[in-house]
Amino acid sequence: MRRLMIVLTLALAMGAQAAAFAQAKPDFTGTWRFNQAKSNPNIAGNTPNIPFPSQIVVKQTAADVAIDSTSVRQQPISALFKLDGSKVTIKAPSGITESGEAKIEGANLVITSRRSFSSPAGETIVDFKEVWSLSGNVLTIEKTRAQEGESTSEKAVFDKI
Amino acid sequence: MSMKLAFATVSVGMLLAATASVQAHHSFSATYDGNKPVTLRGTVSKLGWSNPHAHIYVDVKNQQTGEMVTWEVESAGASNLLRQGLRKEDFIGAEVVIKGFLAKDGTPTVNASAFTLVAAKKEFVSDEAAPTP
Repeated sequence: MRRLMIVLTLALAMGAQAAAFAQAKPDFTGTWRFNQAKSNPNIAGNTPNIPFPSQIVVKQTAADVAIDSTSVRQQPISALFKLDGSKVTIKAPSGITESGEAKIEGANLVITSRRSFSSPAGETIVDFKEVWSLSGNVLTIEKTRAQEGESTSEKAVFDKI
Repeated sequence: MSMKLAFATVSVGMLLAATASVQAHHSFSATYDGNKPVTLRGTVSKLGWSNPHAHIYVDVKNQQTGEMVTWEVESAGASNLLRQGLRKEDFIGAEVVIKGFLAKDGTPTVNASAFTLVAAKKEFVSDEAAPTP
């Protein structure tokens, strides 16, 4: 009976540990550089479907995640998202208004945002959704752009440097 | 003397041609704003069937003012479009949906990453992937 109790206690302890491990938040902290060879072909060059940053710097804590994105000859975009999913204002280039939210869903970081700016077509609104996932020192971002009833999705891979 | 003049004329001509070619094949990041994606619906009014880029002129209604604006859409070149089975005749008067990026100077100019000929219900992609993002 005593032996059975010990075995059960040990099993419960191991189960709790495994559950805690499974629920641990992924940490995206680091400097990430775009890897063209491993990314979808239509996101670089002269006719990108969805352009991705050349480099992303991420600083994540238990409560928030700061993301700074830079691209060649393009204005940088940065944001400090609360990980509780609350809406924040994104620091976008002049003439662009953007807000969004981020939250951890399982092993992924999911960011949704709405961007608006003026163009000769009138006030233009774009919705973005990004799903970030980690595999060792490789970050994969699947990004969807939705606008005027049309949507496009592309995948980019980044290496930790 | 006339030989020298001919040589100088040819040299200047070659230099001008090279400059025009460089200007025609500019980089995306220098001309277009990757932070400003646009999706346009309109009708093709004119076509520049050329390489390295074709230029599709599309009449698009401004959603706020109702004003009709002619956009210049830079797409993949004529050779590329031909390889995808498109001909000049497919464009004029056609209803199109353009996905692209607004020019940095704010003019109604857009780089098309993809466009759809509505009647054909088919999307064509400008597949000019180059080495830098």
